[in-house]
Amino acid sequence: MPHTAMSDANPASMYASAKKIYPREIGGRFANLSKLATIVLLGLFYLVPWLTWDDRQAFLFDLPARKFYLMGLTLWPQDFPYLALLLIIAALSLFFFTALAGRLWCGFACPQTVWTEAFIWMEQFTEGTRSQRMKLDKAPWSWNKLRRKGSKQLLWVTFSLWTGFTFVGFFTPIRELGAEFVSFSVGGWTLFWSLFYGFATYGNAGYMREQVCKYMCPYARFQSAMFDKDTLIISYDEKRGEPRGRRKRSVDPKQAGLGDCIDCTLCVQVCPTGIDIRKGLQYECIACAACIDACDSVMDKMNYPRGLVRYTTEHAMQSKQTHVFRPRMMVYAVLLMVLIGSLVTSMAQRTPIILDIIRDRNTLYRELPGDVIENSYTIKLINQSNDARLFRISVSGVEGIWLDGIEDTIRVDGGGVVSLPVRVRAQRNNAYGIMKIDFLAEAMDETGDKRKEDSRFLGPTP
Amino acid sequence: MVSEEYRGAKQWSRDKQAVFTVLWISFLSAPVGTMVFFALFDPVELSGLFHEGLDLSSNAGYAVGFFFFWIFALACSALTAFLVRTAPKRDAAHRDE
Repeated sequence: MPHTAMSDANPASMYASAKKIYPREIGGRFANLSKLATIVLLGLFYLVPWLTWDDRQAFLFDLPARKFYLMGLTLWPQDFPYLALLLIIAALSLFFFTALAGRLWCGFACPQTVWTEAFIWMEQFTEGTRSQRMKLDKAPWSWNKLRRKGSKQLLWVTFSLWTGFTFVGFFTPIRELGAEFVSFSVGGWTLFWSLFYGFATYGNAGYMREQVCKYMCPYARFQSAMFDKDTLIISYDEKRGEPRGRRKRSVDPKQAGLGDCIDCTLCVQVCPTGIDIRKGLQYECIACAACIDACDSVMDKMNYPRGLVRYTTEHAMQSKQTHVFRPRMMVYAVLLMVLIGSLVTSMAQRTPIILDIIRDRNTLYRELPGDVIENSYTIKLINQSNDARLFRISVSGVEGIWLDGIEDTIRVDGGGVVSLPVRVRAQRNNAYGIMKIDFLAEAMDETGDKRKEDSRFLGPTP
Repeated sequence: MVSEEYRGAKQWSRDKQAVFTVLWISFLSAPVGTMVFFALFDPVELSGLFHEGLDLSSNAGYAVGFFFFWIFALACSALTAFLVRTAPKRDAAHRDE
Protein backbone atom coordinates (compact mmCIF):
# COMPACT_ATOMS: atom_id res chain seq x y z
CA MET A 1 0.00 0.00 0.00
CA PRO A 2 1.52 3.32 -0.98
CA HIS A 3 1.34 6.13 1.47
CA THR A 4 0.86 9.82 0.99
CA ALA A 5 2.68 12.97 1.97
CA MET A 6 -0.56 14.60 2.89
CA SER A 7 -0.77 14.33 6.63
CA ASP A 8 -4.36 15.48 6.91
CA ALA A 9 -5.82 13.08 4.38
CA ASN A 10 -7.74 10.11 5.62
CA PRO A 11 -5.91 7.06 4.28
CA ALA A 12 -9.00 4.89 4.45
CA SER A 13 -10.72 7.09 1.90
CA MET A 14 -7.92 6.87 -0.61
CA TYR A 15 -7.24 3.36 -1.67
CA ALA A 16 -10.42 1.44 -1.28
CA SER A 17 -11.22 -0.32 -4.54
CA ALA A 18 -14.49 0.61 -6.13
CA LYS A 19 -16.88 -0.98 -8.55
CA LYS A 20 -19.01 2.11 -8.49
CA ILE A 21 -17.52 5.57 -8.89
CA TYR A 22 -17.74 7.58 -5.72
CA PRO A 23 -16.66 11.07 -6.75
CA ARG A 24 -14.85 12.81 -3.90
CA GLU A 25 -16.13 16.25 -3.00
CA ILE A 26 -13.72 19.06 -3.79
CA GLY A 27 -13.66 22.80 -3.30
CA GLY A 28 -11.89 25.34 -5.47
CA ARG A 29 -12.25 27.82 -8.29
CA PHE A 30 -13.81 25.46 -10.81
CA ALA A 31 -15.98 23.72 -8.24
CA ASN A 32 -17.43 27.13 -7.36
CA LEU A 33 -17.96 27.91 -11.01
CA SER A 34 -19.76 24.64 -11.58
CA LYS A 35 -21.90 25.17 -8.45
CA LEU A 36 -22.81 28.60 -9.78
CA ALA A 37 -23.67 27.16 -13.20
CA THR A 38 -25.81 24.45 -11.59
CA ILE A 39 -27.69 26.90 -9.39
CA VAL A 40 -28.27 29.39 -12.21
CA LEU A 41 -29.36 26.80 -14.80
CA LEU A 42 -31.54 24.74 -12.47
CA GLY A 43 -32.89 27.97 -10.95
CA LEU A 44 -33.93 29.13 -14.41
CA PHE A 45 -35.55 25.79 -15.20
CA TYR A 46 -37.59 25.68 -12.00
CA LEU A 47 -38.50 29.39 -11.86
CA VAL A 48 -39.19 30.36 -15.47
CA PRO A 49 -42.60 28.63 -15.75
CA TRP A 50 -43.83 30.67 -12.77
CA LEU A 51 -43.10 34.04 -14.37
CA THR A 52 -46.08 35.96 -15.69
CA TRP A 53 -46.37 38.51 -18.48
CA ASP A 54 -49.61 40.41 -19.17
CA ASP A 55 -51.71 38.09 -16.98
CA ARG A 56 -50.47 34.92 -18.57
CA GLN A 57 -47.47 32.64 -18.23
CA ALA A 58 -44.41 34.41 -19.66
CA PHE A 59 -42.92 31.27 -21.23
CA LEU A 60 -45.55 28.80 -22.33
CA PHE A 61 -45.41 26.34 -25.20
CA ASP A 62 -49.14 25.88 -25.51
CA LEU A 63 -49.36 22.73 -27.60
CA PRO A 64 -53.17 22.27 -27.62
CA ALA A 65 -53.62 25.86 -28.86
CA ARG A 66 -50.52 25.51 -31.09
CA LYS A 67 -49.03 28.80 -29.92
CA PHE A 68 -45.72 29.53 -28.22
CA TYR A 69 -45.67 32.48 -25.84
CA LEU A 70 -42.26 34.00 -25.18
CA MET A 71 -42.89 37.04 -23.01
CA GLY A 72 -44.55 39.59 -25.34
CA LEU A 73 -44.04 37.47 -28.43
CA THR A 74 -46.49 34.88 -29.72
CA LEU A 75 -45.15 32.34 -32.18
CA TRP A 76 -47.38 30.26 -34.47
CA PRO A 77 -46.69 27.01 -36.33
CA GLN A 78 -46.03 29.24 -39.36
CA ASP A 79 -43.03 30.64 -37.46
CA PHE A 80 -41.36 27.24 -37.34
CA PRO A 81 -38.39 28.43 -39.49
CA TYR A 82 -37.34 30.68 -36.59
CA LEU A 83 -37.14 27.67 -34.31
CA ALA A 84 -35.15 25.72 -36.89
CA LEU A 85 -32.76 28.65 -37.30
CA LEU A 86 -32.42 28.93 -33.52
CA LEU A 87 -31.49 25.24 -33.26
CA ILE A 88 -28.88 25.60 -36.01
CA ILE A 89 -27.41 28.60 -34.16
CA ALA A 90 -27.31 26.58 -30.94
CA ALA A 91 -25.47 23.71 -32.65
CA LEU A 92 -22.97 26.05 -34.28
CA SER A 93 -22.33 27.84 -30.97
CA LEU A 94 -21.57 24.45 -29.48
CA PHE A 95 -18.99 23.85 -32.23
CA PHE A 96 -17.53 27.33 -31.72
CA PHE A 97 -17.09 26.97 -27.96
CA THR A 98 -15.79 23.42 -28.31
CA ALA A 99 -13.06 24.53 -30.72
CA LEU A 100 -12.21 27.44 -28.44
CA ALA A 101 -12.26 25.88 -25.00
CA GLY A 102 -12.99 22.18 -25.26
CA ARG A 103 -15.91 20.56 -23.55
CA LEU A 104 -17.20 23.58 -21.66
CA TRP A 105 -20.71 22.38 -22.44
CA CYS A 106 -20.12 18.98 -20.82
CA GLY A 107 -18.48 20.34 -17.70
CA PHE A 108 -20.83 23.17 -16.88
CA ALA A 109 -24.00 23.41 -18.96
CA CYS A 110 -25.19 19.96 -20.05
CA PRO A 111 -28.44 18.98 -18.28
CA GLN A 112 -26.89 15.58 -17.59
CA THR A 113 -24.02 17.23 -15.66
CA VAL A 114 -26.19 19.81 -13.96
CA TRP A 115 -28.80 17.37 -12.69
CA THR A 116 -26.16 14.83 -11.71
CA GLU A 117 -24.47 17.55 -9.67
CA ALA A 118 -27.73 18.30 -7.87
CA PHE A 119 -28.30 14.59 -7.21
CA ILE A 120 -24.77 14.24 -5.84
CA TRP A 121 -25.43 17.12 -3.44
CA MET A 122 -28.46 15.27 -2.11
CA GLU A 123 -26.39 12.10 -1.85
CA GLN A 124 -23.68 13.88 0.12
CA PHE A 125 -26.27 15.51 2.34
CA THR A 126 -27.84 12.21 3.32
CA GLU A 127 -24.98 9.70 3.01
CA GLY A 128 -21.99 11.88 3.81
CA THR A 129 -18.56 12.18 2.26
CA ARG A 130 -16.95 9.83 -0.23
CA SER A 131 -15.41 7.59 2.42
CA GLN A 132 -18.63 7.52 4.42
CA ARG A 133 -20.60 6.55 1.33
CA MET A 134 -18.16 3.75 0.51
CA LYS A 135 -18.29 2.46 4.06
CA LEU A 136 -22.07 2.68 4.13
CA ASP A 137 -22.40 0.66 0.93
CA LYS A 138 -20.18 -2.08 2.31
CA ALA A 139 -21.83 -2.19 5.72
CA PRO A 140 -24.65 -4.64 6.40
CA TRP A 141 -28.19 -3.29 6.53
CA SER A 142 -28.85 -1.45 9.75
CA TRP A 143 -31.25 1.18 10.98
CA ASN A 144 -28.66 3.85 10.17
CA LYS A 145 -28.13 2.57 6.64
CA LEU A 146 -31.86 2.32 6.05
CA ARG A 147 -32.42 5.82 7.35
CA ARG A 148 -29.64 7.33 5.22
CA LYS A 149 -30.52 5.44 2.03
CA GLY A 150 -34.23 6.03 2.64
CA SER A 151 -33.84 9.76 3.06
CA LYS A 152 -31.66 9.92 -0.06
CA GLN A 153 -34.37 8.15 -2.06
CA LEU A 154 -37.01 10.43 -0.57
CA LEU A 155 -35.05 13.52 -1.64
CA TRP A 156 -34.30 12.09 -5.08
CA VAL A 157 -37.87 11.00 -5.78
CA THR A 158 -39.38 14.26 -4.55
CA PHE A 159 -36.93 16.27 -6.61
CA SER A 160 -37.60 14.11 -9.69
CA LEU A 161 -41.36 14.47 -9.34
CA TRP A 162 -40.99 18.23 -9.01
CA THR A 163 -38.77 18.20 -12.10
CA GLY A 164 -41.38 16.29 -14.11
CA PHE A 165 -44.09 18.66 -12.92
CA THR A 166 -41.99 21.69 -13.89
CA PHE A 167 -41.24 20.20 -17.31
CA VAL A 168 -44.93 19.73 -18.06
CA GLY A 169 -45.47 23.25 -16.68
CA PHE A 170 -43.70 24.61 -19.75
CA PHE A 171 -46.47 23.13 -21.91
CA THR A 172 -49.53 23.48 -19.68
CA PRO A 173 -50.23 26.58 -17.56
CA ILE A 174 -48.30 25.65 -14.43
CA ARG A 175 -50.55 27.34 -11.88
CA GLU A 176 -53.63 25.47 -13.09
CA LEU A 177 -51.54 22.31 -13.31
CA GLY A 178 -50.44 22.76 -9.70
CA ALA A 179 -54.06 23.15 -8.59
CA GLU A 180 -54.98 19.99 -10.52
CA PHE A 181 -52.20 18.04 -8.85
CA VAL A 182 -53.25 19.23 -5.41
CA SER A 183 -56.88 18.26 -6.02
CA PHE A 184 -55.93 14.95 -7.73
CA SER A 185 -57.84 15.94 -10.86
CA VAL A 186 -54.87 15.96 -13.22
CA GLY A 187 -55.39 14.64 -16.75
CA GLY A 188 -53.99 11.26 -17.80
CA TRP A 189 -51.49 12.48 -20.37
CA THR A 190 -50.26 15.31 -18.19
CA LEU A 191 -49.68 12.89 -15.34
CA PHE A 192 -47.97 10.45 -17.68
CA TRP A 193 -45.51 13.04 -19.04
CA SER A 194 -44.73 14.34 -15.54
CA LEU A 195 -43.88 10.85 -14.33
CA PHE A 196 -42.04 10.03 -17.53
CA TYR A 197 -39.76 13.05 -17.35
CA GLY A 198 -39.36 12.64 -13.60
CA PHE A 199 -38.33 9.02 -14.02
CA ALA A 200 -35.85 9.90 -16.77
CA THR A 201 -34.27 12.50 -14.47
CA TYR A 202 -34.10 10.02 -11.60
CA GLY A 203 -32.47 7.32 -13.71
CA ASN A 204 -30.06 9.57 -15.60
CA ALA A 205 -28.89 11.77 -12.72
CA GLY A 206 -29.18 9.26 -9.88
CA TYR A 207 -27.82 6.08 -11.44
CA MET A 208 -26.51 6.31 -15.00
CA ARG A 209 -24.51 9.50 -14.50
CA GLU A 210 -21.14 9.33 -16.28
CA GLN A 211 -22.25 6.20 -18.18
CA VAL A 212 -24.53 8.44 -20.24
CA CYS A 213 -21.52 10.53 -21.27
CA LYS A 214 -19.34 7.49 -21.90
CA TYR A 215 -21.71 5.24 -23.80
CA MET A 216 -24.80 7.14 -24.85
CA CYS A 217 -23.81 10.68 -25.76
CA PRO A 218 -23.10 11.34 -29.46
CA TYR A 219 -21.49 14.72 -28.77
CA ALA A 220 -18.94 13.10 -26.46
CA ARG A 221 -17.83 10.85 -29.32
CA PHE A 222 -17.49 13.42 -32.07
CA GLN A 223 -16.37 16.47 -30.10
CA SER A 224 -12.74 15.55 -30.70
CA ALA A 225 -13.30 16.38 -34.39
CA MET A 226 -13.61 20.03 -33.35
CA PHE A 227 -10.40 19.96 -31.34
CA ASP A 228 -7.06 21.14 -32.62
CA LYS A 229 -3.73 21.96 -31.03
CA ASP A 230 -5.00 25.41 -30.00
CA THR A 231 -8.07 24.18 -28.15
CA LEU A 232 -8.14 24.68 -24.39
CA ILE A 233 -8.04 21.28 -22.75
CA ILE A 234 -7.35 20.03 -19.25
CA SER A 235 -3.89 18.51 -19.17
CA TYR A 236 -1.37 17.17 -16.78
CA ASP A 237 2.04 18.78 -17.26
CA GLU A 238 4.07 15.63 -17.70
CA LYS A 239 7.40 17.40 -18.07
CA ARG A 240 6.90 19.08 -14.74
CA GLY A 241 5.25 16.25 -12.88
CA GLU A 242 7.38 13.23 -13.77
CA PRO A 243 8.94 11.22 -12.31
CA ARG A 244 6.09 11.19 -9.84
CA GLY A 245 6.54 9.93 -6.33
CA ARG A 246 5.80 10.43 -2.68
CA ARG A 247 8.01 12.60 -0.56
CA LYS A 248 8.00 14.56 2.67
CA ARG A 249 7.18 18.21 2.40
CA SER A 250 10.71 19.09 3.52
CA VAL A 251 12.37 17.15 0.68
CA ASP A 252 13.56 19.22 -2.27
CA PRO A 253 12.16 17.36 -5.30
CA LYS A 254 15.11 18.31 -7.53
CA GLN A 255 17.62 16.77 -5.17
CA ALA A 256 15.50 13.66 -4.74
CA GLY A 257 15.25 13.36 -8.53
CA LEU A 258 11.46 13.75 -8.49
CA GLY A 259 8.96 15.78 -10.46
CA ASP A 260 6.22 17.84 -8.87
CA CYS A 261 3.56 15.09 -8.86
CA ILE A 262 3.40 13.60 -5.38
CA ASP A 263 1.15 10.79 -6.58
CA CYS A 264 -1.53 11.54 -4.02
CA THR A 265 -4.20 10.35 -6.51
CA LEU A 266 -6.63 13.08 -5.51
CA CYS A 267 -7.10 13.99 -9.18
CA VAL A 268 -8.37 10.47 -9.81
CA GLN A 269 -10.58 10.37 -6.75
CA VAL A 270 -12.44 13.55 -7.61
CA CYS A 271 -13.04 12.55 -11.22
CA PRO A 272 -16.75 11.91 -11.81
CA THR A 273 -15.91 9.67 -14.78
CA GLY A 274 -13.15 7.83 -12.94
CA ILE A 275 -10.21 8.50 -15.27
CA ASP A 276 -6.60 9.36 -14.53
CA ILE A 277 -5.87 12.70 -16.22
CA ARG A 278 -2.16 11.96 -16.01
CA LYS A 279 -2.55 9.41 -18.77
CA GLY A 280 -3.38 12.22 -21.20
CA LEU A 281 -6.57 13.45 -22.82
CA GLN A 282 -9.25 10.76 -22.82
CA TYR A 283 -12.65 10.84 -24.40
CA GLU A 284 -14.31 10.11 -21.06
CA CYS A 285 -13.10 13.48 -19.74
CA ILE A 286 -16.04 15.86 -19.50
CA ALA A 287 -13.79 18.82 -18.62
CA CYS A 288 -15.40 19.46 -15.25
CA ALA A 289 -11.99 20.66 -13.96
CA ALA A 290 -12.40 18.91 -10.59
CA CYS A 291 -8.87 17.50 -10.99
CA ILE A 292 -7.48 21.03 -11.42
CA ASP A 293 -9.04 22.09 -8.13
CA ALA A 294 -7.76 18.95 -6.41
CA CYS A 295 -4.21 19.31 -7.73
CA ASP A 296 -4.07 23.05 -6.99
CA SER A 297 -5.02 22.40 -3.37
CA VAL A 298 -2.22 19.83 -3.07
CA MET A 299 0.33 22.12 -4.76
CA ASP A 300 -0.62 24.84 -2.27
CA LYS A 301 -0.03 22.49 0.63
CA MET A 302 3.32 21.44 -0.78
CA ASN A 303 4.28 25.05 -1.53
CA TYR A 304 4.72 24.20 -5.20
CA PRO A 305 3.35 26.51 -7.89
CA ARG A 306 -0.19 25.72 -9.02
CA GLY A 307 -1.03 24.41 -12.47
CA LEU A 308 0.47 20.92 -12.60
CA VAL A 309 -2.97 20.00 -13.94
CA ARG A 310 -4.42 22.99 -15.77
CA TYR A 311 -6.40 24.38 -18.65
CA THR A 312 -3.96 24.71 -21.49
CA THR A 313 -3.50 23.94 -25.18
CA GLU A 314 -1.38 21.32 -26.85
CA HIS A 315 0.69 24.06 -28.45
CA ALA A 316 1.30 25.75 -25.10
CA MET A 317 2.36 22.41 -23.63
CA GLN A 318 4.97 22.13 -26.38
CA SER A 319 6.08 25.71 -25.57
CA LYS A 320 4.66 26.98 -28.84
CA GLN A 321 2.40 29.92 -29.56
CA THR A 322 -1.35 29.36 -29.06
CA HIS A 323 -3.51 30.91 -31.76
CA VAL A 324 -6.98 31.95 -30.73
CA PHE A 325 -7.88 33.51 -34.09
CA ARG A 326 -7.35 30.60 -36.45
CA PRO A 327 -9.24 29.82 -39.67
CA ARG A 328 -11.54 27.33 -37.96
CA MET A 329 -12.62 29.91 -35.40
CA MET A 330 -13.10 32.54 -38.11
CA VAL A 331 -15.35 30.26 -40.14
CA TYR A 332 -17.49 29.36 -37.11
CA ALA A 333 -17.65 33.00 -36.00
CA VAL A 334 -18.64 34.36 -39.41
CA LEU A 335 -21.30 31.68 -39.88
CA LEU A 336 -22.65 32.36 -36.42
CA MET A 337 -22.82 36.10 -37.00
CA VAL A 338 -24.57 35.68 -40.34
CA LEU A 339 -27.16 33.32 -38.84
CA ILE A 340 -27.76 35.41 -35.71
CA GLY A 341 -27.99 38.52 -37.86
CA SER A 342 -30.56 36.97 -40.17
CA LEU A 343 -32.59 35.66 -37.23
CA VAL A 344 -32.65 39.07 -35.57
CA THR A 345 -33.53 40.99 -38.75
CA SER A 346 -36.22 38.55 -39.81
CA MET A 347 -37.72 38.62 -36.31
CA ALA A 348 -37.61 42.41 -36.31
CA GLN A 349 -39.30 42.60 -39.70
CA ARG A 350 -41.86 39.99 -38.86
CA THR A 351 -45.37 41.39 -39.24
CA PRO A 352 -47.92 39.63 -37.07
CA ILE A 353 -50.31 39.06 -39.98
CA ILE A 354 -50.75 35.89 -41.98
CA LEU A 355 -52.66 35.97 -45.23
CA ASP A 356 -53.58 32.76 -47.05
CA ILE A 357 -55.30 32.90 -50.43
CA ILE A 358 -57.08 29.76 -51.62
CA ARG A 359 -58.48 29.93 -55.14
CA ASP A 360 -61.83 28.25 -55.71
CA ARG A 361 -60.87 25.18 -57.75
CA ASN A 362 -64.35 24.29 -58.98
CA THR A 363 -64.68 26.98 -61.61
CA LEU A 364 -62.03 28.61 -63.73
CA TYR A 365 -63.96 31.85 -64.08
CA ARG A 366 -67.48 33.12 -64.49
CA GLU A 367 -68.80 35.52 -67.08
CA LEU A 368 -71.20 38.10 -65.69
CA PRO A 369 -73.45 40.46 -67.60
CA GLY A 370 -71.75 43.68 -68.63
CA ASP A 371 -68.57 41.97 -69.87
CA VAL A 372 -67.31 41.25 -66.36
CA ILE A 373 -65.08 38.27 -65.47
CA GLU A 374 -65.31 36.90 -61.92
CA ASN A 375 -62.98 34.56 -59.94
CA SER A 376 -63.72 33.28 -56.43
CA TYR A 377 -61.31 32.90 -53.54
CA THR A 378 -61.28 32.15 -49.85
CA ILE A 379 -59.09 34.49 -47.84
CA LYS A 380 -57.75 33.31 -44.50
CA LEU A 381 -56.61 36.22 -42.39
CA ILE A 382 -54.75 35.51 -39.12
CA ASN A 383 -54.01 38.17 -36.56
CA GLN A 384 -50.92 36.96 -34.68
CA SER A 385 -50.84 39.89 -32.28
CA ASN A 386 -52.46 39.72 -28.86
CA ASP A 387 -55.02 42.49 -29.46
CA ALA A 388 -57.99 42.77 -31.81
CA ARG A 389 -57.18 44.72 -34.98
CA LEU A 390 -59.02 46.15 -37.98
CA PHE A 391 -57.84 45.30 -41.48
CA ARG A 392 -58.53 46.49 -45.00
CA ILE A 393 -58.09 44.07 -47.88
CA SER A 394 -57.41 45.17 -51.44
CA VAL A 395 -56.40 43.53 -54.69
CA SER A 396 -54.18 44.70 -57.55
CA GLY A 397 -52.35 43.40 -60.61
CA VAL A 398 -55.02 43.74 -63.31
CA GLU A 399 -56.26 47.08 -64.54
CA GLY A 400 -59.57 48.11 -62.92
CA ILE A 401 -59.77 44.96 -60.76
CA TRP A 402 -62.07 45.14 -57.73
CA LEU A 403 -63.27 43.06 -54.79
CA ASP A 404 -66.91 42.17 -54.26
CA GLY A 405 -68.71 40.78 -51.26
CA ILE A 406 -66.29 41.97 -48.63
CA GLU A 407 -66.64 44.53 -45.88
CA ASP A 408 -64.50 47.66 -45.95
CA THR A 409 -63.00 46.87 -42.56
CA ILE A 410 -62.51 43.40 -41.13
CA ARG A 411 -62.11 42.88 -37.42
CA VAL A 412 -59.91 40.01 -36.24
CA ASP A 413 -59.54 39.22 -32.56
CA GLY A 414 -56.10 38.87 -30.98
CA GLY A 415 -54.78 35.47 -32.03
CA GLY A 416 -57.88 34.95 -34.17
CA VAL A 417 -58.47 33.57 -37.66
CA VAL A 418 -61.09 34.88 -40.10
CA SER A 419 -62.14 33.05 -43.24
CA LEU A 420 -63.61 35.26 -45.99
CA PRO A 421 -65.16 34.06 -49.25
CA VAL A 422 -64.59 36.83 -51.80
CA ARG A 423 -65.24 37.47 -55.47
CA VAL A 424 -62.74 39.32 -57.58
CA ARG A 425 -63.98 41.01 -60.74
CA ALA A 426 -62.44 42.71 -63.76
CA GLN A 427 -63.61 43.97 -67.17
CA ARG A 428 -63.31 41.38 -69.93
CA ASN A 429 -61.03 43.52 -72.08
CA ASN A 430 -58.50 43.65 -69.22
CA ALA A 431 -58.71 40.01 -68.16
CA TYR A 432 -57.47 37.24 -70.43
CA GLY A 433 -55.41 34.11 -69.90
CA ILE A 434 -53.68 33.52 -66.56
CA MET A 435 -52.76 36.68 -64.72
CA LYS A 436 -50.93 37.20 -61.43
CA ILE A 437 -52.74 39.31 -58.88
CA ASP A 438 -51.75 40.51 -55.42
CA PHE A 439 -53.91 40.57 -52.33
CA LEU A 440 -52.94 43.07 -49.66
CA ALA A 441 -54.07 43.09 -46.04
CA GLU A 442 -53.33 46.37 -44.24
CA ALA A 443 -53.77 46.99 -40.54
CA MET A 444 -55.84 50.15 -40.05
CA ASP A 445 -53.71 51.62 -37.30
CA GLU A 446 -50.53 53.65 -37.05
CA THR A 447 -48.23 50.58 -37.23
CA GLY A 448 -48.62 50.36 -41.02
CA ASP A 449 -48.33 46.54 -40.79
CA LYS A 450 -49.27 44.87 -44.05
CA ARG A 451 -48.96 41.53 -45.74
CA LYS A 452 -49.06 40.77 -49.46
CA GLU A 453 -49.84 37.37 -51.02
CA ASP A 454 -50.17 36.61 -54.69
CA SER A 455 -52.61 34.38 -56.52
CA ARG A 456 -53.88 33.72 -60.05
CA PHE A 457 -56.75 35.39 -61.88
CA LEU A 458 -58.13 33.47 -64.85
CA GLY A 459 -59.93 34.91 -67.83
CA PRO A 460 -61.00 33.65 -71.28
CA THR A 461 -58.26 32.88 -73.80
CA PRO A 462 -57.99 35.83 -76.12
CA MET B 1 -0.27 2.83 -9.57
CA VAL B 2 -3.33 4.63 -8.65
CA SER B 3 -5.90 3.98 -11.20
CA GLU B 4 -5.95 0.39 -9.97
CA GLU B 5 -8.78 1.77 -7.95
CA TYR B 6 -10.68 2.40 -11.11
CA ARG B 7 -9.66 -0.61 -13.07
CA GLY B 8 -12.60 -2.28 -11.41
CA ALA B 9 -14.86 0.69 -12.08
CA LYS B 10 -18.21 -0.11 -13.56
CA GLN B 11 -18.11 -0.81 -17.27
CA TRP B 12 -21.08 -1.68 -19.39
CA SER B 13 -21.18 -4.85 -21.40
CA ARG B 14 -21.39 -4.53 -25.20
CA ASP B 15 -25.03 -5.62 -25.12
CA LYS B 16 -25.98 -3.12 -22.48
CA GLN B 17 -24.18 -0.37 -24.40
CA ALA B 18 -26.08 -1.25 -27.55
CA VAL B 19 -29.48 -1.42 -25.87
CA PHE B 20 -29.14 1.88 -24.02
CA THR B 21 -27.56 3.72 -26.94
CA VAL B 22 -30.36 2.63 -29.26
CA LEU B 23 -33.00 3.63 -26.69
CA TRP B 24 -31.40 6.97 -25.96
CA ILE B 25 -30.57 8.11 -29.47
CA SER B 26 -34.03 7.23 -30.75
CA PHE B 27 -35.47 9.03 -27.73
CA LEU B 28 -33.50 12.15 -28.67
CA SER B 29 -34.57 11.91 -32.32
CA ALA B 30 -38.27 11.48 -31.56
CA PRO B 31 -38.93 15.04 -30.33
CA VAL B 32 -37.23 16.47 -33.43
CA GLY B 33 -39.49 14.46 -35.75
CA THR B 34 -42.52 15.25 -33.60
CA MET B 35 -41.73 18.96 -33.67
CA VAL B 36 -41.32 19.19 -37.43
CA PHE B 37 -44.37 17.04 -38.10
CA PHE B 38 -46.74 18.88 -35.80
CA ALA B 39 -45.49 22.28 -36.91
CA LEU B 40 -47.03 21.34 -40.26
CA PHE B 41 -50.10 19.37 -39.14
CA ASP B 42 -52.61 19.89 -36.38
CA PRO B 43 -53.27 16.59 -34.57
CA VAL B 44 -56.94 17.46 -34.07
CA GLU B 45 -57.46 17.96 -37.82
CA LEU B 46 -55.49 14.78 -38.59
CA SER B 47 -57.44 12.49 -36.28
CA GLY B 48 -60.60 13.14 -38.31
CA LEU B 49 -58.85 11.93 -41.46
CA PHE B 50 -58.13 8.41 -40.31
CA HIS B 51 -61.39 7.46 -38.79
CA GLU B 52 -64.72 9.21 -38.71
CA GLY B 53 -65.55 10.04 -35.15
CA LEU B 54 -62.08 9.21 -33.85
CA ASP B 55 -62.00 12.15 -31.51
CA LEU B 56 -58.42 12.39 -30.33
CA SER B 57 -57.57 15.26 -28.01
CA SER B 58 -54.56 17.28 -29.10
CA ASN B 59 -52.53 16.03 -26.12
CA ALA B 60 -53.22 12.43 -27.06
CA GLY B 61 -52.33 13.29 -30.67
CA TYR B 62 -48.95 14.66 -29.67
CA ALA B 63 -48.28 11.63 -27.47
CA VAL B 64 -49.18 9.21 -30.26
CA GLY B 65 -46.94 11.20 -32.61
CA PHE B 66 -44.05 11.17 -30.17
CA PHE B 67 -44.25 7.43 -29.57
CA PHE B 68 -44.66 6.76 -33.27
CA PHE B 69 -41.45 8.63 -33.98
CA TRP B 70 -39.68 7.00 -31.04
CA ILE B 71 -40.63 3.48 -32.06
CA PHE B 72 -39.81 4.23 -35.69
CA ALA B 73 -36.34 5.55 -34.81
CA LEU B 74 -35.89 2.73 -32.33
CA ALA B 75 -36.60 0.08 -34.94
CA CYS B 76 -34.23 1.74 -37.39
CA SER B 77 -31.42 2.13 -34.82
CA ALA B 78 -31.89 -1.35 -33.43
CA LEU B 79 -31.73 -2.96 -36.87
CA THR B 80 -28.62 -0.96 -37.76
CA ALA B 81 -26.92 -1.87 -34.49
CA PHE B 82 -27.90 -5.50 -34.93
CA LEU B 83 -26.57 -5.70 -38.50
CA VAL B 84 -23.33 -3.91 -37.67
CA ARG B 85 -22.68 -6.08 -34.64
CA THR B 86 -23.53 -9.41 -36.23
CA ALA B 87 -21.84 -8.78 -39.58
CA PRO B 88 -19.40 -11.52 -40.60
CA LYS B 89 -15.84 -10.61 -39.67
CA ARG B 90 -13.38 -10.05 -42.46
CA ASP B 91 -10.78 -12.78 -42.56
CA ALA B 92 -7.19 -12.02 -41.71
CA ALA B 93 -6.07 -11.71 -45.31
CA HIS B 94 -8.33 -8.71 -45.92
CA ARG B 95 -7.91 -7.01 -42.60
CA ASP B 96 -4.85 -4.89 -43.41
CA GLU B 97 -6.33 -3.23 -46.48
